[in-house]
Amino acid sequence: MTSDALLRCRGLSAAVEEKAILHEVNLEVAQGQVHVLMGPNGAGKSTLGHVLMGDPAYEVTAGEIFFDGADITELAPDKRSRAGLFLSFQAPVEIPGVPLRSFLRAMMEGRGEKLKNKEFRRKTQELAETLDMDPAYLDRELGVGFSGGEKKKVEMLQLLLLQPKLAILDETDSGLDVDALSVVSHGMELYREACDGTLLIITHNTRILEHLNVDRVHVMVAGRVVAEGPATLIDEIDAQGFERYEAAPADAAESALR
Amino acid sequence: MMGTQAQTFERASAMPAATWRFLGANDAQIEIPAGLSIQAGVKAEGNVRAGGADALDRALADAQAAWEAAHPAPTAAEEAERAAYLAAEADATYGGTALSAYQSGADALEGARSLAKAFEHGVGNEVAAYLRDVAGDCLLVKAENGQAASAEVVVEAASQAISVAAIDVVAEQGSTVDLSIVVDGPGAQPAGIAGTTVRIFAGEGARVNVARTQTLGEGHADIDDMALFAAEGAHIGVRQTVLGASKSFTGLAGDLRGDFAHVSIDTRYLGMGDQERDFNYALRHHGRKTESVMQANGVLAGESSKTLRGTIDLVRGCKGAEGSENETVLLVDEGVHNKTVPVILCNEDDVAGNHGATIGHIRNEQLFYLASRGLSQAAAEAMFASAIVEQAALDADTSAARSAVVRLGERVAPGFAGLFEEEVG
Repeated sequence: MTSDALLRCRGLSAAVEEKAILHEVNLEVAQGQVHVLMGPNGAGKSTLGHVLMGDPAYEVTAGEIFFDGADITELAPDKRSRAGLFLSFQAPVEIPGVPLRSFLRAMMEGRGEKLKNKEFRRKTQELAETLDMDPAYLDRELGVGFSGGEKKKVEMLQLLLLQPKLAILDETDSGLDVDALSVVSHGMELYREACDGTLLIITHNTRILEHLNVDRVHVMVAGRVVAEGPATLIDEIDAQGFERYEAAPADAAESALR
Repeated sequence: MMGTQAQTFERASAMPAATWRFLGANDAQIEIPAGLSIQAGVKAEGNVRAGGADALDRALADAQAAWEAAHPAPTAAEEAERAAYLAAEADATYGGTALSAYQSGADALEGARSLAKAFEHGVGNEVAAYLRDVAGDCLLVKAENGQAASAEVVVEAASQAISVAAIDVVAEQGSTVDLSIVVDGPGAQPAGIAGTTVRIFAGEGARVNVARTQTLGEGHADIDDMALFAAEGAHIGVRQTVLGASKSFTGLAGDLRGDFAHVSIDTRYLGMGDQERDFNYALRHHGRKTESVMQANGVLAGESSKTLRGTIDLVRGCKGAEGSENETVLLVDEGVHNKTVPVILCNEDDVAGNHGATIGHIRNEQLFYLASRGLSQAAAEAMFASAIVEQAALDADTSAARSAVVRLGERVAPGFAGLFEEEVG
């Protein structure tokens, strides 16, 4: 373990309805770094994101998760959030009956931040405009009738509002057109600039990484982290795919971890 | 009237076709306590005037003549054929048993061919007549052919009093009417009643939009009665927001008489503490290709209770008609009582009746999403309750409605008013 690891999970295994999905995952993310988690479909990447956030749909069957120096393995997801962990959802849920701005306000008040209304409205409006989002969306029911791109922008808006210590972005780029992708990339940059934020990006698309200095890449296959490496690993995977990791994940895990 | 006499309406807001009595959902009981003073308490602005109570009746009589011309009475031979068909149908379907009270009543109503008789009130004609009696002068909002009219009516509740507004809306051919109603009162008060009884006539191609916002304090009861008539191609949209009052009774009945008539109802409600909410909707499709949409969204917290009866009646002759009713209820606490009774009556083929309900606690994936943003279950549930009020403030169509909602929001969640200080001033 490096001394400055903000997130560390060791020997992490998880299951859903008694079906094992993650197997002894080891992962460390240092403060201020950008890590990328790659892998073929069904590798368990999103599951890892949800397990790190404390999704009760999954059961941690072994291992531990440390965040910012504390063991959060058993911590409720709302407390993990307030501790500074953030998960951007691949498919953000809709919350009918709750205006987006009400939700954002409740989110901030949950952190003890009582912004005056004018200030809050100004701040959310500015963030919406920064993300090329029509501020009218702030008065609409959360996610209801939003396009895929708008939903992802709302995720980025929350990221910028909360400025968490570590953000896990679960395929935030999926299903986005070029313009929306550019907006999301811009949001990530702003987050990094605003608070020296730490990112764990789950993606298939290397395009979203173009404007980021990636520190470390992790490759997950069949619920295991089978390889780790510097940013150059992205180019290797881009050229060769995951075949060599999928062939024998257990063996690859031995040889490819470096 | 000097003051109210004690009175109980045992079968108010009754659903047209009763279901099992043991469900306790067929109707509501409205009690009028003795000794309430009769208050005016009604302010009206815009294209509205007192008197003219017969304008709607005249419009309905004209519609009757037009309807009769377009729908000639059946000949004796046709009536005999119909009687034979009904007898055979009863034999085949019910093993020869007699028609139900509802079926007999509906058949008699259709046979009477009277638009006036078919013009029903949502809380029941008896309660509506009482409300009109209490209200005194009726307010009239009328738009002439092709013109537009708009009005705001505010009913202010008072302690130990009953305050009622009777409003008639007549939208002539191709006209538009926008009506905003606010039924408001300060916080906790001794017993009192506030209410409205609204009759709406939408002529051919007319558009009528009504938004009613109720923000009464604890101790008061609210009676919201509406009766609608929609001629050919008319559109009537009603939004009812029920946020306050210890007890609320919301009743709406509509006759979609003309072909292509459209009625949409958007109901939002909040129940907290031991508040009681009662809703009764009955929309009868007579015209061909008529369309109705009922959508209700509510949050029930504490030990509040709610009953919603929604009836879509697809009457013989309404070919191509489509009615749908949908309700989403969030049950925040274990102690709440919720009854939803969707009824679709069908006496015509080539029609569609749809209903759906989403009733329950916040879904697990929603809870996790909210938790991932730092909201505990308790915080999430509180947010759902206050969001109903906040959405009502955002959607308020007049400053009076918004101010009333914000005042109620402040009573429910201190600090709420600060959210709208710019809008309310």
